[in-house]
Amino acid sequence: MAYETLPKTDVVIIGGGWTGLTAAYELAHTGQRCVVLERGQKRHSVTSFGAPEEHDELKYALRYGHMQDVKKETLTFRNSRDQQALPMRRLGSFLPGTGLGGAGIHWNGQIWRPLPSDLAMRSHYEGRYGAGFLPDDLSIQDWGVSYDELEPHLDFFERICGAGGYAGNLNGAARAGGNVFEGPRSADYPNPAMKQPISNTLFGQAAERLGLNPFPMPSANVTKAYENPYGAQLHPCTYCGFCERFGCGYLAKADPIICVYDRIKDHENFDIRFHAQVLRVEKSSDGRTATGVVYQDEDGSELFQPADTICMSAFGLWNVHLMLVSGLGTPYDPETRTGTVGRNYAYQTIAAVDAFFDDSVSTTPFMGAGALGVVVDDFNGDNFDHSDLGFVGGGYIACKQYNGRPVSYQPVPEGTPAWGGAWKHAVRENYGHHGDMVIHGSSVSTPENYLDLDPTWTDAYGRPLLRMTFNFPDNDRKMSDYVMNRAVEIAEEMDNVTSVSSFNLAAEGQDYSIVPYQTTHNVGGAVIGTDPQTSVVNRYGQMWDHHNVFVFGACLFPQNLGYNPTGPLMGLAYWTLEHMKTDYLQNPRPLMDA
Amino acid sequence: MKRITSTIFRMASVAALGLLGVPLDAQDRAASPGLDMLELRLQDDRVLFNAQVKQPVDDDLLELGRLVAMGGAQSGGSAMACFTCHGAQGQGDGSGAFPRLAGQAGWYVYKQLIDYASGDRPNKVMSGIAQRLTEAEMEAVAVYYSAIDAPYRAVLGQINGETLQWGGQLGAVGSAERGIPACVNCHGPSGTGNAPSVPYLAGQYANYMTYQLQLWREGVRDNDAMNVMSSIAGKMTDEDMRAVSEYYARVRPAERVIAPLDAPMAVTIGD
Amino acid sequence: MQIAPGALATSAGILAAPHPAFAQHALAQHDARPWAFVTDDEARWLAALCDVFIPEDDYPSASQAGVVDYIDLQLATGYGRGDGLYLEGPFPAGTQQQGYQVPYPPAQLIRRGIAGIRASDAPDLTALDQSAREGFVERLSQDTGTYDDIPAKVLFDELLGLTNQGYFTDPIYLGNYDYAGWKMVGFPGAHAYYLDRVDDPGRNASPPPMGIAHDRAAQPRPPRAIRKDI
Repeated sequence: MAYETLPKTDVVIIGGGWTGLTAAYELAHTGQRCVVLERGQKRHSVTSFGAPEEHDELKYALRYGHMQDVKKETLTFRNSRDQQALPMRRLGSFLPGTGLGGAGIHWNGQIWRPLPSDLAMRSHYEGRYGAGFLPDDLSIQDWGVSYDELEPHLDFFERICGAGGYAGNLNGAARAGGNVFEGPRSADYPNPAMKQPISNTLFGQAAERLGLNPFPMPSANVTKAYENPYGAQLHPCTYCGFCERFGCGYLAKADPIICVYDRIKDHENFDIRFHAQVLRVEKSSDGRTATGVVYQDEDGSELFQPADTICMSAFGLWNVHLMLVSGLGTPYDPETRTGTVGRNYAYQTIAAVDAFFDDSVSTTPFMGAGALGVVVDDFNGDNFDHSDLGFVGGGYIACKQYNGRPVSYQPVPEGTPAWGGAWKHAVRENYGHHGDMVIHGSSVSTPENYLDLDPTWTDAYGRPLLRMTFNFPDNDRKMSDYVMNRAVEIAEEMDNVTSVSSFNLAAEGQDYSIVPYQTTHNVGGAVIGTDPQTSVVNRYGQMWDHHNVFVFGACLFPQNLGYNPTGPLMGLAYWTLEHMKTDYLQNPRPLMDA
Repeated sequence: MKRITSTIFRMASVAALGLLGVPLDAQDRAASPGLDMLELRLQDDRVLFNAQVKQPVDDDLLELGRLVAMGGAQSGGSAMACFTCHGAQGQGDGSGAFPRLAGQAGWYVYKQLIDYASGDRPNKVMSGIAQRLTEAEMEAVAVYYSAIDAPYRAVLGQINGETLQWGGQLGAVGSAERGIPACVNCHGPSGTGNAPSVPYLAGQYANYMTYQLQLWREGVRDNDAMNVMSSIAGKMTDEDMRAVSEYYARVRPAERVIAPLDAPMAVTIGD
Repeated sequence: MQIAPGALATSAGILAAPHPAFAQHALAQHDARPWAFVTDDEARWLAALCDVFIPEDDYPSASQAGVVDYIDLQLATGYGRGDGLYLEGPFPAGTQQQGYQVPYPPAQLIRRGIAGIRASDAPDLTALDQSAREGFVERLSQDTGTYDDIPAKVLFDELLGLTNQGYFTDPIYLGNYDYAGWKMVGFPGAHAYYLDRVDDPGRNASPPPMGIAHDRAAQPRPPRAIRKDI
């Protein structure tokens, strides 16, 4: 294929979101010339996301104004290998971003750290419950990097975001009011916790009465005027209720544009190109390294950008897709169970509980923020005894108040008809009297849940679509049911509640569907680990097969934890970048023996 | 001492305005709106929501508010009459030294009085006045002024068109360069306010607004929730401040006319 | 094109009868062709259907809130044309979990679907009384068949979704007339600032709604089609 070759750069970075811009910031400051290739448009939080125009539920929440265009890139989906995968013709279950800042623009701002046991799930469970405890049909793995190793990086990212919260474990000392299950923090959160509305407060009180340990959800919706370590200035959140799916024009939600891009854009070692769609990564003739990337610019011309080092910072799914279409690593074959690229794809297991209050409790749901919640972590990870439960993993229970946007937020009690006079009445009676709970559960990996390339459909660039084969494992169905029932208990304990209903998306007999929104927490497919037979990158995020390719994002997770992935993946990103800066770039080579 | 100073100042401003032929109604008590007029206005949900502070608004509250405005607070006196500086209709006196109060968000005005009294908002004149009001009087006078729909004074002085444009842009869109969010993010449609918490800018005096922005920037004023205004003002230059102030001084709220549903339609789907 | 109000509201009437207050409105002449996409018959059918979904009670019905206008605008613009929809073939039928697999964008889907239903031996929705209309809609919601190769379920879900949106989205999209939906639930709209009172249950009253164009929509146009009860 004929294409123009551009002058070589030190580092080419695929994607201008959280990990791509952060990689550019860190590497540019060590003298590396960085070129960021972003497939989407340039934009800025101040001028592109200002109210009132941004506060348009139809345009952004329902028609996905900030999300990727499926006409250009989508994927095919099936529950199991005996079905034909069909295109995801409309966004639904997950909402990948595009444009400067990527999904970091429209995220909720929930910022977590993994539990120490999350990072070593296999050895932890085997250590506590015995060698045969994990079922054979679950491909659960350790990450190969420990919580202690990641701690300074997790902390740093929280500082980049101005995270607000209350530490529950400060250097080993438990603090009531924080998450007493978390790994030890070297310092408290940089900002105070968010202010809680009445529904979340009632939830917390009920949880305490039941002997549980509620705490405010850690939030990157900044709670007071703040300057981050890169010099970015953030402003306090107004609780406007147009957070997730929207950009923040108040400069109150930590996003890659204000936190990182603004602080690096004028640096001499930084160059970013927009409408630059990376088509594939090119390999050297001996296959041991990558030589650069081919991308299509906005005129449709194909250009080759050579580089010494490649950072794959696209959204997790598209990192895996690029590996597959470029022939990086060995694709996973579920029949023979060999190969690693695409293996161990996982998601997030979601259930919901609704509590309806009597007229004395007025919840004003329109006052909300993406990370506004009170959380109970007692049933997450291995924070509770799994001995006789028949599953592994868990999830956090949060009573949250993200938004009261009237198309999306129409809570009605069980049994309400779906339309008509009674429905209309129920919508208005319950709008301001509802407590909204989510069970945000882990997602274990199995040999049958994986990613590969579709044989039939292609994207706008002529490449085969990514094919996703996924269904909820029985393990997760049981886990979700268990944690949901714990949430129902809390809901029933709350004051002034007239009814409680619950819904488990992973219930027995309910197959995973790409239609209803769940989370954009697609993980795995380019797993991190210490054994090249079961991982795509080593514990430094470096591809086993191509030592100058470093991979970022949740595609690295061997299975998904209960928490939202942005915090953990950014901790990993800073960890990878540290090893690139202090080790790899001085002496490019595989950092681990195969 | 205070009385004399204010009299002298007022005489000077009165004289200055007299030269410009601006009508002087600061002392014309007959021009203050009757309670009937206010009650009529308060039938509108929006006016009522904008005005209400804590208790339901009734004519007793409006009476009290008017009394306070005339100087009749319990610890009142002629130096305590709001209208002497803020105008019988809450329009100020044209100088910009005293902000327009008419139609301002009631809770916001009430909060400013609380903050003046406690010193959270420093002001040599208003602190003394606010300290002599009870909370009930503060609420009443805030509701009273909030319910008034006073005409706007003409904006005086020449202004560079480019400055106005920049002010309009900063207000509507903000500045990515400087990290300044647009004013309308919080201050309501075209800066006409977002009750109960956020005051209007539209039609406020330009020099008053510029002065407040300077006070925010210097940290002298910081009585807003979480210091949002000082974060924003801290990034504004003098020119930015002048631009947005002059712009919003000239903005007027639009009249909203809703055609009733039984107006003739283009197509009636009837049976 | 100035016509006396009400003079030409016939069943075949396409000509506008602008309200006197709007007579000087610059765009009044464009009301001569009131619909951007739907025909009068389709508008009538949609009004009948959406008023079963959201009937009139203490708050306006769907058609009174401008839902038919909303649907018309959506079908005439990007959404109707298939923005946000991957429409590369082939189109084998899928499972429920695999979502939308119809080879048409929403505008065609709805046009064909409505035409298919009206051509079938189902009763004419617009000729039924309210109770019979409710029965019609109930049966349609359970219908597993296809109408002119449009699956009834897909059509039903689209129409119910569009009706709901038309009642509750910002009035710039021509529905939610005079904030009917927002007033009903107490949603304040596009202007939002709650930092100082989110955690104070004593100060949590809903502000009267203000949409994106609140200050510029000094004279919002009323809905073009309203279903008048028999």
